[in-house]
Amino acid sequence: MFRFQSLDDDCTLEEEDDGLIEEEDEIDQFNDDTFGAGAIDDDWQEEHKRLAELDERVGLGGGEVEGEVDSGGSKPGSSIHRPSSSVNPPLQSSLPPFGFSSSSPGLPPQDADDRAREGGLAESLARLILEADPAIAGVGAAERPRPSPSSSASSLSVLHSLDQPRVLPQSSSIPHQRQPQLPPGPITSGLPSSSMLSYQQQQQLLRRGTAPMGQMNSHNIWDNSMSFGPVSVSPGLVTHMEDSPLMSIIKEGGLPKRPPQGRSDEGRDLSERVPPPRSSSPVIGSPPVRAVPIGTPPKQPMSHSLNHQNSPLCRGPFAPRVGPVLSHLQRAQLLNSQVAGFPRGGPAPLLPGGGFRPFFGGPPPPHGHRMCPPPPHGPPSHIPVRHNTTHLHPQHRRMLTQRMQSRGGDRGRTGGDRSSRDPYSNLMTQKEKEWVTKIQMMQLQSTDPYLDDYYYQNYYEKMEKRQDKERDISSNSKKEHATKLITPQVAKVEHTYRPVQFAGSLGKLTVSSVNNPRKMIDAVLTTRSDDEEKREKQVWNKRRQILYTVEKMYSLLLEVQDFEKRFVQTPEEEREALLEQHKTNTEQLSSSLMEKEWDHRVSDELCVMIMSVRKGKRLVARLLPFLPSSQAAAVVMAIARNLPALAKKDKQDQVLGWLVEPLSPVIQSLSSSALTDLLQELQGGEGQLAVVLQNKFGVTMLYLILSEGERMQSCDPNCQLMDDNRWTELVFSVTRELLSVPASSLSPPLFTPPNLLSLFSRYVDRQRLELLQDKLQISASSR
Amino acid sequence: MNYVPGTASLIDDIDKKHLVLLRDGRTLIGYLRSIDQFANLVFHQTVERIHVGKKFGDIPRGIFIVRGENVVLLGEIDVDKPCDTVLQQVSIEEILEEQRQQQQTKQETEKVKMQVLKDRGLSIPKADNMDEY
Repeated sequence: MFRFQSLDDDCTLEEEDDGLIEEEDEIDQFNDDTFGAGAIDDDWQEEHKRLAELDERVGLGGGEVEGEVDSGGSKPGSSIHRPSSSVNPPLQSSLPPFGFSSSSPGLPPQDADDRAREGGLAESLARLILEADPAIAGVGAAERPRPSPSSSASSLSVLHSLDQPRVLPQSSSIPHQRQPQLPPGPITSGLPSSSMLSYQQQQQLLRRGTAPMGQMNSHNIWDNSMSFGPVSVSPGLVTHMEDSPLMSIIKEGGLPKRPPQGRSDEGRDLSERVPPPRSSSPVIGSPPVRAVPIGTPPKQPMSHSLNHQNSPLCRGPFAPRVGPVLSHLQRAQLLNSQVAGFPRGGPAPLLPGGGFRPFFGGPPPPHGHRMCPPPPHGPPSHIPVRHNTTHLHPQHRRMLTQRMQSRGGDRGRTGGDRSSRDPYSNLMTQKEKEWVTKIQMMQLQSTDPYLDDYYYQNYYEKMEKRQDKERDISSNSKKEHATKLITPQVAKVEHTYRPVQFAGSLGKLTVSSVNNPRKMIDAVLTTRSDDEEKREKQVWNKRRQILYTVEKMYSLLLEVQDFEKRFVQTPEEEREALLEQHKTNTEQLSSSLMEKEWDHRVSDELCVMIMSVRKGKRLVARLLPFLPSSQAAAVVMAIARNLPALAKKDKQDQVLGWLVEPLSPVIQSLSSSALTDLLQELQGGEGQLAVVLQNKFGVTMLYLILSEGERMQSCDPNCQLMDDNRWTELVFSVTRELLSVPASSLSPPLFTPPNLLSLFSRYVDRQRLELLQDKLQISASSR
Repeated sequence: MNYVPGTASLIDDIDKKHLVLLRDGRTLIGYLRSIDQFANLVFHQTVERIHVGKKFGDIPRGIFIVRGENVVLLGEIDVDKPCDTVLQQVSIEEILEEQRQQQQTKQETEKVKMQVLKDRGLSIPKADNMDEY
């Protein structure tokens, strides 16, 4: 029941047509079923009946059928029969403007008064049948003259891809053997070209025969790609959407909209640039594919000129191999002559020997004849008739168009002598330039410019500030801004790709295409249960954990740091929200270091853990300025407390020095008691100070503390540093240590605060002071 | 700057005379006719200029299409500015001859160097895929 099958498919997709087809007798002519094989082999009436029943069952009649379903089965006498061969579904869907919604296969022929109304429908029908049904065309095409519905022009765009440029004789409009009632007037297209092309499609259909549906589809997709869009299906088809797997594909991939009539040539042009359709459509199993790959250059609009050239070129058997009709030089000269406005010589400049045209098998002269008359084709001001130039080489056509355009635009432009003398200028058309620029702009799309292009943004800000300054200085109120590049800011859209699923199929697709590759290997993770490996793994896990923690904190920190910048950028309404977020961030950050139970004490464990990694140290260094002072103090305390451990871990990296810079303001902001505490922490247990002194950073920190203490004492007479003896004692022990420690083990600090000497002078006697001075100076000079 | 302000674009360089240095060391001079997003260049009336010492020679090449990845430098030539008088233009045969000689001497010195190194037990492997420039 293959035939039935296909009919079924067609039936579901063609619902709209049915009502119209009834009245269009001319359709019958091409109808395979009426006059061709179908009539002989298959009994269409039987099938028709069957289909009608089927449709009824499926429930087509939902609001759409004009009560004609019943009568559908009983139309043996009607000369109109719905075409049964494959009609392109996409073309179907573009019929909505006509507004008909009949979905029944069997409608009675409408009355004469309806015909006038359906005049437009007739066109669409004719168009549909003609373009879509090779079988129909194959049967009746060659013999009968057809009318030329204006629709054919748009249908041609579909077929343009199917048929490469051909020379088309000016055939009569497509005649149709209508019934006398139907006036051919409104149907006839105004453009002779469309009729030409309809002849072309006849020829093509004849030759092609029945094209496979898929291929037709893909052709359409490629051709009409410019207006690729979501499916706009007429209501009549909706009911069958679920049924046909094809429809699901179409839904997924989108149906091409019918391009406007005038773009038939562009469709042709496009096809020349677009890669040939693939044997298996990439639409299946993939997300929607751009029919025109991003890299294709822009298509060229129809050329307006050189129509005179066209007519001679039309005659004669022009095969596609005669591609470059004009060589570059000829073309350039030709167009230059147009631009310049004065006629060039005869054939001579156009035919510089056969050198440039290896493609021509025949002798140049016949071609030359054709080319000769056109160029000085009168004053450039008149707009030439737009002839069919589809068969021209794309380069040629482009040049013509461009010249036409530039002729109007460039006339007033001087552009320098050079450009007017240069016959090869503007080979790259404006459109192409814009296209390249567009691609470049596309590459600049960004959702977060500060993230993607940090340096450019900063540079621009600086430049603008400088300009503002200069403007202020020059006191010139005229605001002349350098043209600023406005990069498109795209909203981040999450593209989730769901693979195509056919309704009613079992499981997922097995088709893999470039857009959805198939998983070839299943890699399974296996764990090794060796003991040693476990231990090793544990060590690694710990380290990984540390790194992970550091990373998390870092991201928080970066957000906090960027807050200011973003704050300035966001509009007023969103600022509060941003502020809130900022607060949470900072809180999170500070709490992450804290111990679980004790609120004000930094977890030693955590601290050491984080600082064992180089990045962790960096993190803390960056973090300190952003913490509230109490927490910062706590952090510093923790550092002091754990300095030996930290120093040990830092042996390899030696990057504790990073901490000095953020540390100093914190220390300087400490209260006296806190400072004392800090010094105490630093001294810690037995021998800690010795270790501290051995480490560069430790020494530096110590000096910082001492220096701060000294500053406090000297500046502020009410300083409470001396209230309890702690400070004094601590300093004493420090000095003792300093003196006792051998000079070699005393590590030079990163810098020595100047007031240390005055500090020590308070506490130690002269002799010791001198000793200290020596030592410190030694260490100071070896900075 | 006209089309895409704040960035560099070759659009404004179209139809102007340019000098391009390629990765294989060739120097081409021609009118830049067309570009694309990969900075593939179409040169017209191209001339390959070979420099040997103070001499140079021009070999006319016609139309060149250069793949963007092979470009090292590209710069516009000011046709109005007077040419450098230090360089002396010679005929094609002569410059090719000079170039051949230059290559030969270079190869010889390289050979000697390798031999000397080998004698001392050192070997510097030749980097194969390095660009000329």
